[in-house]
Amino acid sequence: MKLPESLFSRMLLAYLPFMVYPYGFFRAGVAALWIVAFLWVTVAFFWFTRRLFPSRSLKPAFFLWLIVWAQAIWTLTKLPPYWIASVYFLAPVSFLEDAAKPSQARVFSKEVPRFQHPSIGAERSLGPSQPPFWEKVKKLGRYFFERVLAGISFAGFVMLLALIREIGEKRLGIHAFEQPVGMWLVIAAVAFLWKNQPYRRRG
Amino acid sequence: MYSLIIAFGFLLAMRGARHAPLQRPMEGLKRLGFEAVDLFLTVSLILALWALAITFERIQPIVRDYGIFGSGLAAYLLSRYQKKTDVFFLSVVASVFMIHAEQCGPLQGILLAGVVSAGIALFQICFLGLRYKLLFSNTPPSMKGWPSLCLLAGFIALVLWCFGSLVF
Repeated sequence: MKLPESLFSRMLLAYLPFMVYPYGFFRAGVAALWIVAFLWVTVAFFWFTRRLFPSRSLKPAFFLWLIVWAQAIWTLTKLPPYWIASVYFLAPVSFLEDAAKPSQARVFSKEVPRFQHPSIGAERSLGPSQPPFWEKVKKLGRYFFERVLAGISFAGFVMLLALIREIGEKRLGIHAFEQPVGMWLVIAAVAFLWKNQPYRRRG
Repeated sequence: MYSLIIAFGFLLAMRGARHAPLQRPMEGLKRLGFEAVDLFLTVSLILALWALAITFERIQPIVRDYGIFGSGLAAYLLSRYQKKTDVFFLSVVASVFMIHAEQCGPLQGILLAGVVSAGIALFQICFLGLRYKLLFSNTPPSMKGWPSLCLLAGFIALVLWCFGSLVF
């Protein structure tokens, strides 16, 4: 099974704010773990409370949530607020949009549970053919499992790049790794390997 | 500042306003110019409002303590008013924070906003131009997509780094 390009694009775009942080391996790792934890809390929070918001205010509420937490974390830990961009690119924010199509919000799977968005689920609740309970639970489980995997992959990606940066900058003394230039070349190599990963059949 | 330009320049180029059409690069250039002016004006306005709010003694501690919240809210409202994308809003928040962290005066802050906007525009123009050239080249299929885009971004970052070290 090949790892999908969509996961790489999410990880790459979410990593870019880390270029602005002048952090070493340890601090970058801690920041990445915070982002992943916050991503999971955000997804769970909006999953369970989305019906409390009018559909138009769901997206502003999401951004207000990000701004409030950026302020809180800055006050508590002095972590600059660039990390909200990482959360934004990792979160399946497109499902907050009214015109969201199932294919827009995928990370791994080809479809998103149709009942996850009120406007998408509404048409189904009118009809007599509701999916069976276990089917719902299975899809829901898969949906959250994909978010968990996206978070773990992102943390791994950030730590790998931070480690390469640390080795290149401190051990090998390559100045390009102090700047985004070196990281871009490393990311290009990772992207090449990701794109050309060997295809293996399951089982 | 240089890292901010490279990171958010790429984000805006990939997920910013409507994709600049590769087939008509002149139209794309015009659009990038307008976007850069919008970014500069939005960041400058927020910095000016922040500087103005700090002059009022009564609200000074609140403005200092809740600066990110206030500037983020202003950035969101201004972005929505201009019907901009979410990435534009995030870029404004990041730029305002970084410029404010430099602890310079309002005039210098606006000058830095100009530098950031011009840098991001320059990055995007180079990126658009190279992508346009790439359309007519025989790129191997294994390099198409993210590998070539990251490589282009790396080369632009390298050139801007050299320019930056000459200028600053």
